[in-house]
Amino acid sequence: MVGLSEGEKHFIRGGIAQDLRTDGRRRLQFRAISVETGVIPQANGSARVRLGATEVIATVKAELGKPSILHPDKGKVSIFVDCSPTAAPMFEGRGSEEFSAELCVALQRCLLGGKSGAGAAIDLSSLIVVDGKVCWDLYIDGLVVSSDGNLLDALAAAIKVALSDTGIPKVNVSLSATTDEEPEVNVSDEEFLQFDTSSVPVIVTLTKVGKHYIVDATSEEESQMSSAVSVSVNRHGQIRGLTKRGGAGLDPSVIFDMISVAKHLLKRLSREEGEQRRGPVVAAACGGAAMRLDGDIRGARCEEAFGAVALAAPPLPSRCCRTWVRLISD
Amino acid sequence: MRDLQLSLNQTQRVRLEAALHELQTVAPAAAVTVADTIPVNDEDNILKGHGTSDQDGEVVATLCGVVERVNKLVYVRTLRARYKPEVGDIIVGRVIEIAPKRWRLEINFSQDAVLMLSSMNLPDGIQRRRTAVDELNMRTIFEENDVICAEVRGFQHDGSLHLQARSQKYGKLERGQLLVVPAYLVKRRKQHFHHLEQYDVDLILGCNGFIWVGEHVVVGENANMMENKLNLSAEVENFTPLETRKHICRLANAVRVLSALGFTLTVELIIETAEASVSSNIEINNMLGAEFYVQTAEREVKRRADLLRKKSGGR
Repeated sequence: MVGLSEGEKHFIRGGIAQDLRTDGRRRLQFRAISVETGVIPQANGSARVRLGATEVIATVKAELGKPSILHPDKGKVSIFVDCSPTAAPMFEGRGSEEFSAELCVALQRCLLGGKSGAGAAIDLSSLIVVDGKVCWDLYIDGLVVSSDGNLLDALAAAIKVALSDTGIPKVNVSLSATTDEEPEVNVSDEEFLQFDTSSVPVIVTLTKVGKHYIVDATSEEESQMSSAVSVSVNRHGQIRGLTKRGGAGLDPSVIFDMISVAKHLLKRLSREEGEQRRGPVVAAACGGAAMRLDGDIRGARCEEAFGAVALAAPPLPSRCCRTWVRLISD
Repeated sequence: MRDLQLSLNQTQRVRLEAALHELQTVAPAAAVTVADTIPVNDEDNILKGHGTSDQDGEVVATLCGVVERVNKLVYVRTLRARYKPEVGDIIVGRVIEIAPKRWRLEINFSQDAVLMLSSMNLPDGIQRRRTAVDELNMRTIFEENDVICAEVRGFQHDGSLHLQARSQKYGKLERGQLLVVPAYLVKRRKQHFHHLEQYDVDLILGCNGFIWVGEHVVVGENANMMENKLNLSAEVENFTPLETRKHICRLANAVRVLSALGFTLTVELIIETAEASVSSNIEINNMLGAEFYVQTAEREVKRRADLLRKKSGGR
C-alpha cells in the first residue's frame, strides 16, 4: 500500500477500537490460512503458506558437511530470509536487506536457541552422522512472495510445515580402520528419515494499535501500529522466544497479557494447521530435553526479569526490552 | 480466476467448477487468449485493430481479452490492462504529489492524472481568480495520500490527463475504505455515486476500478471539514457508529468477493450480495471464506439464467 489518508487511518484505528476491522474480522481473528507442502521438488522439504494476500515459501535443503570443532556432536542449521522485490515496491534494490535481516534474526532466535545450541527447537544432535566428522547442514530459506502484513507468523508457520515435510536421506557409513581418514559416505536415495517437528514453535504477532492489540495485521494495519510483540510458543505451550518491533514502549502487564493471548491463539492455530497438513506428523517425544532450558522455567524467568525492570521504570523502552529478551533466550 | 486463492473442499470445488462452467455456457463471451483465431467469415476487407495480427491469412489475437467489432474494425479489448479514461468518467484517485497549481493523482492510468487548482471549486464556494495565496494553501484542500473523487475533463495535447472537481459532490473522501479492483469490472453508467439510505453508506464506483465505501457525508458539509478535523483525533472510538461500520465492512467484502470472481460490479449486485450474506447468517469476515464464494457464483448463475429466460420470453 502506498499510503493512507488521514481519514482512512482514522477509519482503521476506529475499527480496531470497535472490534470490527476493515475486512470484518474481530481483533483476535486470523485471515484464512492455507498450507501446501512439497512445492519445490529440488528441496528436501518445502511449504507454501498463504495468509490472506500474504504468501511465503519456505524450503529446507540438507547437505552433508563437517560439524564445528566446538560442537562435534551437533549438526548445523542456518536460516535465511529473502523478500522478493515483486512483493512490494519497498523491497526493490537494497530496500529489503534490513527488513529481511530483521525477520531472519527473529526466526533464528525462535528456532535455533542460544549460541551453544541449547534450547534449539530443532534437535541438532539428530543431525549428526559421524561424531566430529560428518553431519547434516540444514539450510532453511524463506521467500516472501507477496506481502500483506504479518510476515513473521507466515514464515514461522511455513518453516514448521516445511520441516515436517522434510525427508533426510538415510546415510550408510563405512568406517575405515584408521580414524583420521575421511569416512566413506553412501547416501541412500530411497530411504528417508522424517524430522521431529513436535517442538518447533509457531509465532503469533500481536500488533498494538491505539489502546488495543490485534492479531494477523494487514499491511495497512501494520502502518498504524505503535509496537508489535511476536511470541513463539511450541505445541506444549512453552515460550521459545519473544521479539518486539516498533518504537513505542510497552507496559509489562500488557506484554504478559499479550503472551497469554498468544498462547491461547497458538493452540487454535496449530490445531487448524494440523488439520490442513498432509502427510504423517511424527509425534515422537522431544529428544534432548535435558539440553534445553525448559520453556516454562524460561517463562518464569522472563516474568521475573520484566518484574525487575517494571520496578525500575514502568514503561519499557524498546531497546531495553529487546536486550532483556535476548539475555533470557541465550 | 487468478485471484481465487481459496482452500476449497471437494464438494465446494465441484460446485464452483459447475457454476463457472454454467456461466460460460449462459453467456458465451467472445473471449480470446493469445494465438486464438478470431473468426472473420466472408468479409475480406476487414481492418485489423489493436491486439490482432495476420497469420497465414487468418486473424489471430495477440492479447488476452474480448473481441470487439466496430463496423469493419476488429480489435481485442484487454481485460487486465490499466484503466483507459474517457471524458466525463467519474474516478476515485489518490493524491501522490502537490506541484505548482496542481495535484497529481494516481488513478491506475498509464500516467498520473492532473487536477489543476483552477479546475476545482474552492472550499468557500466563491468563484474568483486563484491567487498566489490560494496556491500556497493547497495543502489545506488536499494533502498527499488523500483519496479524492473527480471527473475526467479531457486530454491535453501532450497526452496528459486533466481532471476537474467543479461540484459539491466531488472532493475529499474520508471515513471509509478504498478498494482496488480491475477497471473492467466497473461499467460506465449514469450514476456512480450511490447513497445507500438503508445503510447510511456512500458507495462510489470509480470508472478506474477504485471503489470507495464510506460513511455517508451530506453534500455541502465538506466546507466545515476543517473544524471536524480537530474532533476527529479526539474521539477515535466513536468515529463511525458501529452499525454503519458493519454495513461498510459487509459491502466492502461483497465487492472483494465479486471482483475476485470477476463479476461486473453494479450497485444492485453488491447490495444483493451483501443482503444474501445477511439472510444466510454469514458473519462479515466469513464472507471471504470459500463457502460464500461458491454461493455467490451459484447465485450469479441463477440470476443470469433468469435474465436470459426473461429476454427470450419477451421476444
